[in-house]
Amino acid sequence: MARLTIRNICKSFGSGFAVNDVSLDVENGELVCLLGPSGSGKSTLLRMIGGFERPSAGEILIDGRDITHLPPERRPTGMVFQSHALWTHWTVFDNIAFGLKLRRLPRADIREKVEQALAMVGLADYGQRMTTQLSGGQQQRVALARSLVLEPKILLLDEPFASLDQHLRERLRDEVKDIQSRLGITTLFVTHGQDEALALADRIVVMRDGVMEQVAPPDVIYRAPQTEFVAGFIGSMNFLRADVEDGVARHDDLTLPLPIADGPVILGIRPEAMSLTPSERPRAGKVHRLIDFGTHKLIDIDLTDGTRIKCMAGPDARAPRGLRVELGVSAFHAFRDGRQVYQTTSDLEATERSMSHA
Amino acid sequence: MAMLSSTLPARARAPAYGGAIIGLALVAMPVLLLGWLILYPILAAIVETMFPVGADGARGFSLASYRFFFSDDYSLANLRVTLWTTCVCGLLLVLVGLPIALYLRFSRGRFASYVQALAIFPMFVPSIILSYALIRTIGPNGTVDLVLNALGLPKLPTPYLTPWGPVIGLVWDNLPLTVLMLTAGLGQISNASVEAARDVGAGPLRVLVSIILPRMGNSLLVTLSFAVLGIFSAFTLPYVLGPASPEMMGPFMERTFSDNNDPLNALTQAVISFGFCLVFGLFYVRSIARNRESRR
Ligand SMILES: Nc1ncnc2c1ncn2[C@@H]1O[C@H](COP(=O)(O)OP(=O)(O)OP(=O)(O)O)[C@@H](O)[C@H]1O
Ligand SMILES: [Mg+2]
Repeated sequence: MARLTIRNICKSFGSGFAVNDVSLDVENGELVCLLGPSGSGKSTLLRMIGGFERPSAGEILIDGRDITHLPPERRPTGMVFQSHALWTHWTVFDNIAFGLKLRRLPRADIREKVEQALAMVGLADYGQRMTTQLSGGQQQRVALARSLVLEPKILLLDEPFASLDQHLRERLRDEVKDIQSRLGITTLFVTHGQDEALALADRIVVMRDGVMEQVAPPDVIYRAPQTEFVAGFIGSMNFLRADVEDGVARHDDLTLPLPIADGPVILGIRPEAMSLTPSERPRAGKVHRLIDFGTHKLIDIDLTDGTRIKCMAGPDARAPRGLRVELGVSAFHAFRDGRQVYQTTSDLEATERSMSHA
Repeated sequence: MAMLSSTLPARARAPAYGGAIIGLALVAMPVLLLGWLILYPILAAIVETMFPVGADGARGFSLASYRFFFSDDYSLANLRVTLWTTCVCGLLLVLVGLPIALYLRFSRGRFASYVQALAIFPMFVPSIILSYALIRTIGPNGTVDLVLNALGLPKLPTPYLTPWGPVIGLVWDNLPLTVLMLTAGLGQISNASVEAARDVGAGPLRVLVSIILPRMGNSLLVTLSFAVLGIFSAFTLPYVLGPASPEMMGPFMERTFSDNNDPLNALTQAVISFGFCLVFGLFYVRSIARNRESRR
């Protein structure tokens, strides 16, 4: 139950900034995902909040109290590490009880709380096992219980499920989400996986080279990316170079109305916003390959300028290799210098409208 | 089918058989060397001391030399001072080595690597040179005396030629190995498990006591057995830095053998020293075995 405020946090490791001037407010009970490519400073930011790295500049506040210079043991945060963080010389019970013992709780209380925590993560009968006798997923659940049992004000998770297989990851992710919303703990979750972020987060922070690119709810991040990087990083996006002249963007295979100043532009089009029609034009794009995902098909098209784009089609679509096709576009984004400068009436507003009609 | 099943096991057995011979051949050399250079001398020494050549030139069973050792006050005093030195050195090594190893394990940066180099340095200094260097620093009119004198402070009693002389030298000499082995032991403890402990509210001391030390038990034991074995049978440092009486077993043996020209008693002292080292060695073996078992 707390509000986390990060103000102008920087961290440099000798050369260059791992985190550069990040400011963020996380509301009470909110779950925020930090998403970004490897080396973008996600872990560093999380570790500064947990107290394991000292910020080079800036401050961190929890409920308005400055904790920037407190050691980890005096912060009201709980962290779940990526791996290898259980104490292997103790049983599961002792692992979870350690923090409570440090707080000098009566024995009976400790027992009760540990059992509750174990039940919450679905390991009720595992208290007396040694941690080495657990599977990877069970170990991560013990680590989660160990943090939760102390009722931290802020829960920090650094790619907690990265080493697990897809199914387990999805299940644990749902469990974490359930527990988090039931207890209403303010949570920061670092992840590589955009599907994880889209499924979990109230808001997503996209990071790149230590800088925040965009902070927004998942649907906004997907439908209204502010930068070319975010557009390319979340979901898949086709990028085409085009030239704007008199409010029209021209590309060999496309001509789109684009009411911005003349000059080069990068068009961003989602695969699901594209449609194909057979074409007789000799320089039209050519079907390279078709991948069947069951629910839909993805068609790769080689354009004459050398770019390859992806186009989503229904499960019944057919497109023989080498077929010449004309592109149709129902929605697109335009980027200049990495920033979005135009977007067709956003799908977001469209969905909102249809939702309110329903 | 029948042919296949009858040939297969034979083929499967052939390489295993050859492997066994190669394996035996590989093991044979060290085993032979071990027998010739270590086991044979030990057994010979035991036989020699228990069946000494009598006045009439015939061998007969007699424990007289052992009885002499354990009833002779001087021999017992030597044994006692050896055990005392070993215990004190072992204790000091852990007390000095553990903080250094902890520092090396958990600090990053350039200064840590200087400390590491400094801690390993004594390994490359021969003990005879170390002995004379120590005489020049802590001996009478050594550097310490000169500095104290220059500052107008009173003279300290010098540890040179007291039992503390060898203790200082031996600790200095054995520190590198101790630090290296303890650092290796600390390497098994992941950063994340230490950070997790701090995260749930444990201060640095608590982390040491509850998280680090319990998992150091075996490597502490191994380190100690190694150090203790070396110290118990040390020669140069006690010979140069230690008192003439009582003396440690190393110098005592040497003097009994060459100065007193008394090989029987020297051998007896050697067998007794070996007995003590064997006990420490068993500790080591037991801890290794336990380690293996717990890893399984
Ligand atoms: N202890 C350190 N010393 C020096 N540089 C570091 C240290 N920790 C991180 N860095 C650097 O800081 C940058 C950000 O690292 P960080 O671990 O925060 O990335 P990340 O976003 O968590 O990446 P990943 O997804 O791979 O975990 C990287 O360029 C990394 O090399
Ligand atoms: Mg990371």
